[in-house]
Amino acid sequence: MSNADTMGDMPHLLLVDDERSIREPLAQYLTKQGFRVTQAADAESARTRLAAYAIDLVILDVMMPGEDGLSLCRHIAATSDTPVILLTAKAEETDRIVGLEMGADDYVVKPFSPRELATRVKVVLRRLTAGGARQHAPESGSYAFAGWVLKTGERALVDREGVSVALSTGEYNLLLALVTRPRQVLTRDQLLDLTQGREAAAFDRAVDNQVSRLRRKIEADAKAPDIIKTVWGGGYTLAAEVTRL
Amino acid sequence: MRLWPRSLAGQMAVLIALALFVAQAVNFGLALRERAEFRLAQATRPVAVRIADAIERETQGVRPIPRDRGRIRRADRDGIPPALPRLPELASELRTQLHEQGVEVGRIDTGVRGWTPADDAVLGRGFPRGNRVRDERDRPAQALLIAIERPGHGWLAVIVPWGENGSMRLFWRLFAQTLILYGIVLLPVLWIARRISRPLRDLTAAAQRFGRGGDAPVAVEVRGPADIAGLVSSFNALQLRVTAMLDEKDRMLGAIGHDLRTPLAALRVRVESVEDDTDRTRMTETIAEMNRTLDDILSLARMGRPSEPLTEVDLAALVDAVVEDFRDLGQDVAFEEAARLRMRLRPSLIRRAIRNLIENAVKYGGGAEVRLVAEERRVAIEVADRGPGIPGERLGDVFEAFTRLETSRNRDTGGIGLGLALARTIVREAGGDVRLANRDGGGLCATIELPR
Repeated sequence: MSNADTMGDMPHLLLVDDERSIREPLAQYLTKQGFRVTQAADAESARTRLAAYAIDLVILDVMMPGEDGLSLCRHIAATSDTPVILLTAKAEETDRIVGLEMGADDYVVKPFSPRELATRVKVVLRRLTAGGARQHAPESGSYAFAGWVLKTGERALVDREGVSVALSTGEYNLLLALVTRPRQVLTRDQLLDLTQGREAAAFDRAVDNQVSRLRRKIEADAKAPDIIKTVWGGGYTLAAEVTRL
Repeated sequence: MRLWPRSLAGQMAVLIALALFVAQAVNFGLALRERAEFRLAQATRPVAVRIADAIERETQGVRPIPRDRGRIRRADRDGIPPALPRLPELASELRTQLHEQGVEVGRIDTGVRGWTPADDAVLGRGFPRGNRVRDERDRPAQALLIAIERPGHGWLAVIVPWGENGSMRLFWRLFAQTLILYGIVLLPVLWIARRISRPLRDLTAAAQRFGRGGDAPVAVEVRGPADIAGLVSSFNALQLRVTAMLDEKDRMLGAIGHDLRTPLAALRVRVESVEDDTDRTRMTETIAEMNRTLDDILSLARMGRPSEPLTEVDLAALVDAVVEDFRDLGQDVAFEEAARLRMRLRPSLIRRAIRNLIENAVKYGGGAEVRLVAEERRVAIEVADRGPGIPGERLGDVFEAFTRLETSRNRDTGGIGLGLALARTIVREAGGDVRLANRDGGGLCATIELPR
């Protein structure tokens, strides 16, 4: 498939990882997936290559000797619009938050599936081209709506009394998609698409099912929903004012 | 025993009060005895002198002892009513005294009765007090009757005023003395005990806090006497050392995690180029399992210092969310929806504990029924399956990390037995416990119990 595309049409990725055993096969895989991949083994050479090429997206290992990934990530976010996906070895929540606060667009936890990484790269790039303006770290911070607060760092939904109401992965992804696009009508297909690229688990179940579960958790009356409304013939929309905290 | 105080200051105070009391009681006893002896001698000597005098005068024919007046009268027999209390010590003392005066007598009887106005006459000539009775207050409380047999000469009857012996006054004096002593001794004791016990209490609180909150340890204020202050500062130093060791452990575990995840990640990337779908899926699963195990090991090792803060959580929604995640993966996990249940805990850790139990149920029982039971003082999360259960005598063993029951069990039916150990560590950290029981009709029921 790479033969069919000209070099100019292929998104140009910069892959920064000090581990050759990861970097090289990953570069190979991504090339096969139709990306142009430039490699860098450390932050310094990454900077050189960022300056030399028109990079569309950076895949960045967090743990590197010398200047680490987070610092480079901050530098990239401060000096350019180039999106960043972090490769992190730690699955702990605090690391996720830190990464997203540093201006990363997404992250994957090692060991990650290269396929999932490729999907996320595509999602971020599509978001960039489709949405025009770049949405930095769409899932960082908190969103307040209709008396609820969705905290993305802890992936928790907090009610008026400050009690955290746990969400399943599917519910969380769906709610995040809705909350980041208030008052937009999202079709079932769009919702499926938007929730993809996250943990590969939760998507076989119908969107409708997830919506009704969410409604039971957040609506005063799940039978007459005020927050997540059904649009006839369309899909769903979040009918509430959303404030980003 | 209720009265026994638990605090150092209280125990010291009670002990010292008891010791003082005993010492004072002994004191009191000794003083009372000495006083009694002294009084006996005091009371007896003048009587003896009098009697000797009277007898001498009578034998010399100067003046006969009258029958009807005075303190000393002649009598034909022992006229003391038998019902009156006797004073045998006084009798023997009197005998000794009389002997010293050169008077030998026969039997001596004594008796004490109330003073009657008729007795006032004997006070007439100032013995032992000079004044006439003016009012009731001056009148002696009691009269001591003494009957002395003079062999061959009949009896002598003697009436002596007999006061109450003053032991009450002595008692009150000692009592006041004891109170003053209590004041003087107990106040400093309480003060020093508080000086010792307050830093000790701080120390206890700090020791209980230590390692719980996950926050940096707070140094205990160094105060109190030198030995206590020394203890406190060594504890502070110990705290710092342990924290440093734990930090070092965390760093090491982080490094181990990183060093193991990197080759795993490399492997995971390379696996994608395997052509055979079945092979690739298997390899992917193996890598995922190794990664989960690695996660479990790291979590278990880090459990002493949970980094997640306590949060107000709806436990019912939390269980529901965990169950939903399993159902999303197509697992047969049932959960009866439960009413909102507000709890304060560490949500991701508890989530993990519940997940581990359900994972086991799904693995060995093919599915799980989950129930949330809220009682007044505790909450139980029951995860029941219809699998083979666990032989009764091995129910305790499965909690040990790296234990699996069937050694022959192959990889896809089990992790390496960390799941339960981790679940129990998490739940115990939250003040609860995990119990396992075989169900009637087969299968296992794992229960997470949490205090409310």
